[in-house]
Amino acid sequence: MADIRKWFMKAHDKDNGSASKHAKPDSSSNEKSAAAELQSGKAELSGGGSTGRRITSKYFASEKQKSKDTTETEELPIKRKSPQDAKESPAKRKSQKDSKESLKVPPLQKLNKIDDNDDDDAVISSSRKNLSDVTPNKKLKSGSGKGITQKPVKIEESDDEEAEGTESSRKQPSGRGRGGRGSSAATVGGRGRGGGRGGFMNFGERKDPPHKGEKEVPEGAPDCLAGLTFVISGTLDSLEREEAEDLIKRHGGRITGSISKKTNYLLCDEDIGGRKSSKAKELGTAFLTEDGLFDIIRASGTKAPPRQDSKKSVVKSVESPTGKSSLKVQAKTCKDLSAGASPAKQKRRTVEFSSLTWTEKYKPKVPNDIIGNQSLVKQLHDWLAHWNENFLDGGSKKKGKKLNDSGAKKAILLCGGPGIGKTTSAKLVSQMLGYEAIEVNASDNRGKSDAKIQKGISGSNANTIKELISNSSLHFRTDQPKRPKTVLIMDEVDGMSAGDRGGVADLIASIKSSKIPIICICNDRYSQKLKSLVNYCLILSFRKPTKQQMAKRLSQVANAEGLQVNEIALEELAERVNGDIRMALNQLQYLSLSMSVIKYDDIRQRLLGSMKDEDISPFTAVDKLFGFNSGKLRMDERIDLSMSDMDLVPLLIQENYINYRPSSVSKDDNGIKRMDLMARAAESIADGDIINVQIRRHRQWQLSQSSSIASCVIPASLLHGQRETLEQGERNFNRFSAWLGKNSTFGKNMRLLEDLHVHILASRESCSRREHLRVENLTLFLKRLTEPLHTLPKDEAVKMVVDFMSLYSINQEDFDTVMELSKFQGRKNPLDGVAPAVKAALTKAYKEARKTQMVRTADLITLPGIKKAPKKRIAAMLEPAEDTVEGNGGDTLAESDDENSLDNDDAEDSTNAEKKLQLELQNLKKEGMEVQLDLKGVENSNAKKPGGRGRGGGSQASEKKGGGRGSGSATKRKR
Amino acid sequence: MLWVDKYRPKTLDQITVHQDVAQNLKKLVTEQDCPHLLFFGPSGSGKKTLVMALIRQMFGASAEKVKVENKTWKVDAGTRNVEIELTTISSTNHVELTPSDAGFQDRYIVQEIIKDMAKNRPIDSKGKRGHKVLVLNDVDKLSREAQHSLRRTMEKYSSYCRLILCCNSSSRVTEAIRSRCLNVRINGPTDDQIVKVLEFIGKKEGLQLPSGFASRIAEKSNRSLRRAILSFETCRVQQYPFVSNQAIPPMDWEEYISEIASDIMKEQSPKRLYQVRGKLYELLVNCIPPEIILKVIILSQFLLIFSVLMCDLYYLVSQRLLYELLKKLDAELKHEVCHWAAYYEHRMRLGQKSIFHIEAFVAKFMSIYKSFLISTFG
Repeated sequence: MADIRKWFMKAHDKDNGSASKHAKPDSSSNEKSAAAELQSGKAELSGGGSTGRRITSKYFASEKQKSKDTTETEELPIKRKSPQDAKESPAKRKSQKDSKESLKVPPLQKLNKIDDNDDDDAVISSSRKNLSDVTPNKKLKSGSGKGITQKPVKIEESDDEEAEGTESSRKQPSGRGRGGRGSSAATVGGRGRGGGRGGFMNFGERKDPPHKGEKEVPEGAPDCLAGLTFVISGTLDSLEREEAEDLIKRHGGRITGSISKKTNYLLCDEDIGGRKSSKAKELGTAFLTEDGLFDIIRASGTKAPPRQDSKKSVVKSVESPTGKSSLKVQAKTCKDLSAGASPAKQKRRTVEFSSLTWTEKYKPKVPNDIIGNQSLVKQLHDWLAHWNENFLDGGSKKKGKKLNDSGAKKAILLCGGPGIGKTTSAKLVSQMLGYEAIEVNASDNRGKSDAKIQKGISGSNANTIKELISNSSLHFRTDQPKRPKTVLIMDEVDGMSAGDRGGVADLIASIKSSKIPIICICNDRYSQKLKSLVNYCLILSFRKPTKQQMAKRLSQVANAEGLQVNEIALEELAERVNGDIRMALNQLQYLSLSMSVIKYDDIRQRLLGSMKDEDISPFTAVDKLFGFNSGKLRMDERIDLSMSDMDLVPLLIQENYINYRPSSVSKDDNGIKRMDLMARAAESIADGDIINVQIRRHRQWQLSQSSSIASCVIPASLLHGQRETLEQGERNFNRFSAWLGKNSTFGKNMRLLEDLHVHILASRESCSRREHLRVENLTLFLKRLTEPLHTLPKDEAVKMVVDFMSLYSINQEDFDTVMELSKFQGRKNPLDGVAPAVKAALTKAYKEARKTQMVRTADLITLPGIKKAPKKRIAAMLEPAEDTVEGNGGDTLAESDDENSLDNDDAEDSTNAEKKLQLELQNLKKEGMEVQLDLKGVENSNAKKPGGRGRGGGSQASEKKGGGRGSGSATKRKR
Repeated sequence: MLWVDKYRPKTLDQITVHQDVAQNLKKLVTEQDCPHLLFFGPSGSGKKTLVMALIRQMFGASAEKVKVENKTWKVDAGTRNVEIELTTISSTNHVELTPSDAGFQDRYIVQEIIKDMAKNRPIDSKGKRGHKVLVLNDVDKLSREAQHSLRRTMEKYSSYCRLILCCNSSSRVTEAIRSRCLNVRINGPTDDQIVKVLEFIGKKEGLQLPSGFASRIAEKSNRSLRRAILSFETCRVQQYPFVSNQAIPPMDWEEYISEIASDIMKEQSPKRLYQVRGKLYELLVNCIPPEIILKVIILSQFLLIFSVLMCDLYYLVSQRLLYELLKKLDAELKHEVCHWAAYYEHRMRLGQKSIFHIEAFVAKFMSIYKSFLISTFG
């Protein structure tokens, strides 16, 4: 293992080794210090963990002494410090200091040490540890002095001073106490570049940075801003807001939204006099320009070898710049350490280093340790505590009284994502209340138990459970006065699947009859399988802990394991794992194998590859693809993002690509470049559509990657940048795709048009195609239908329109269709200005005219006696009804003869059928169907044709609606 | 009744515009068994009228007794059952249908339904075995697979089933099918022919036509007789008696499209593109076929390019400069725009979501036009 570690660290070590060699040719023992350096790398890996822990355990005992000690150690370098010294490279100073310390250490070591053989190792790390623990104390001392120097009397001045001050103090943690002096020294050294630039004044909304993309963004040491809190205000000189945030985060700084006491810098290039700046002045927060920021970063990058720096800044991250809070942090760490690792255990741990996974090792021991969801845990606790009273002893008495109470449900269902502590809290709570937990999870067979437990409980697990819950006496033991209480934890109930037939139903039955509390645990409470279970359980939904909460816990663990991780990095880790603390711990443990100092970038890199498979919503995916720094995403990540929903993401991209201002185009006077990019993106999206057709129609699924590249990745990579709104009042979020809605409207309109087309064809007056009907005829139809209503007097107009409609057998729905299809945005509705009276008259007249017409809807009415509805649907066969009266008799007879031959045998249920038919016809009528029911006719025909004719009469009624038809009717009727 | 329908010739003898074709067809039918036929030509040229008249010539008046059926067919497509809804117009002897309505399932229609129809041989009342006619509309919109399956059907059942195919462009009908048919090209009527028809209608309706009115309609109709008659009647509904400078109202959607085109010409920006997209959606939702949208956009853009530039350039008094510019416009811009329009139209037919392609064209046009404007005017 050690070999591997060495291998990991090699590059760094070499660097440091050489650096230190360069730095101090005249140091007391060159060789030794180099070795020390080399060792220190190792110490970070292995020794760092163990020694650190050992020391901490001892720490409390000797705190007082030690603090004295360290002040001593500190005194030394400070004494030696001179203005010239201050200008020296911090690396050198540090290594010198290190060696000094290691020289000085022996007394310290004696105090601290237990039984380690490799002195160097322990020495360095212990001294480092001391430093880390002690400096805050020191800071308290120096707090006042620092405060004075930092007062922003002259903002411009103190700006830089502050910047440099912290910088220098960061470089030399030990010297930090001398706030005033340190900073002034540094000002002498590092000054000169920062001031006097970036005085732009523009008011109002945030605009583009005036020198966007013109400055080179420096690369600094990864943690050079650690522990600093920034607030950004206004427009910066060359960076977009997001870019600045990313820059600061990347270097370990923290961004907050508003100014508070903890804020170190207000980053702004112009004093726009807004809320932030006034508050900053009030609180005495320092102002920092963008150039200042760059300088800080650049300085750290050039002057300090990154590892040295980060090592220290990690230490620093524990303390925050103001004295008070640092004390608090300090106190906290103490507590954490003591809580996280009891001395007895630690010893064992040092021996068997990795026998336990951290997730097991740092499992919460008491319910209060559980991160987040405390109220739920409390609820669980209460429920469990009162379970017996509620359901066993006095349950029947209180029935009905407390139904709405949380105790009313006999079982409880904990739900929430994986790794947020459901099982743990269930176990802890039951343990705390003295219950014996029986856990049944997906690894057990949980099928339905045998209905009768006569076979005994042997064999089937389900039977055991059944026995367990139903038989409280089982737990009685005569020799024990107090019976052990039991709780059944059904873990992973949503995993009850094919193997566990009837599992959920059985579980419910169990709950009903149970004499012990049951805790069910699931991930997805909306799962179909649990639908029935949910009714019987009190549901507690666990939420993800916040990243701060998680980071806190993680830092406890890290401290206990001797890892040095700064808080920002932990927060990043917490964010990356999406609230899954188990996963975070696993990651942390894995990381700890290879390094003992974990930085923001390490975590980013580690988790880039093994990011938790979270459910990316299409919106997030699109956000990420179009995000201003999506250019840094790898190709496979982009494809993954666009594949998160193969259908929706391309649509969202298509909907929103117009809104992005491409960041790849820095200077674009008249938008030509952007327009060009958009044209290319649009073409690529169209490409995607073509590929999609190949996939769907010809099942060429191997093209799906190309499709996602063409429809998502290329447009996004062309246009990624900042989103802007195109319409007034539009929110600056990605819109949902309009295509889906429009497509369904299109489908609906197409159907309506088809109906209209069929009706018109059925009128036999026209034989135009559907397309032509829409493109060419519709305008005229519209004119013919509406124009008279505007111009002619009411009666005449109505008559004209109705005549036209009946000629082309256009019904009222079709009328609406015509109106709908010729409606365009920004055009006036052709029916506007038509008096309501006219409209009403039109409807009335239309209905009147309708009666003399006939609709063939034989297929819409299930004829009684005919079991199967006619397959063929004869839609709307319409005919003018001039021959209503005279055609009636003969046709009726002819038809009913027809019926007769077919349906003679149905005589007996004729009356039934008739009634049914009537009902049905009425229903149809209610639905607005144009069916005229001539009941009289039915009766007549019944009378005319006695006996078996009833059936015929019935169907005739349906035939008859609307009266006679042409002679063709009989043939048209499909049987 | 609309004039389009009222004055539609019912028999081959009544046909005036394509008299020669009609006479030939008549001879074909009366003298011998007619082969499969493929009518192609632009819309509004009278294909359908000819076909109907031809069928009437074949079967007599019974061909006019049609029924409209909207039937759901269940087709066994190997692994699954496909349900296809299809509207057919049929008499005893002929069936008319539009297989391309089924979209990409048209193959099943051709393979199953048409074959089914072609197999059944009608027997007329005298016990004589007749033959039947299948009229297929929009054959050019059939997918390649469907066309391939059609050609076997055409041969196998040719003894008693005739196919009459109608389409706009014969180039999208496969060679194999074309070679099995007698191809009949129906030209769009000339302006003179249209004017004649309009005047005939005017006389029948007893209208007073101002001089030049008919020819103006004919000019605007883009050589589509149907279009001409329809807009003639629209004018009639809108205003009668006609005045000498009677306005000919454009189709509502055409108006809308030209609005879009002028939007594009006025400003080329993402914002404008977004607005244009909204309007395009509007058109598509109102069932305007995307091909037509694209075509009309281009046409109105060309009109606009000139008018806009003319206005812009009015201050360029120098005639020569204007001339040069127009030449440049012709040489560069028009070519390019045409190229891209054709490109995107082709792709639109390959693809499915037509809005994407139209939008891509609009974006492309904006990009080209903008750089053209800037390079020309600085």
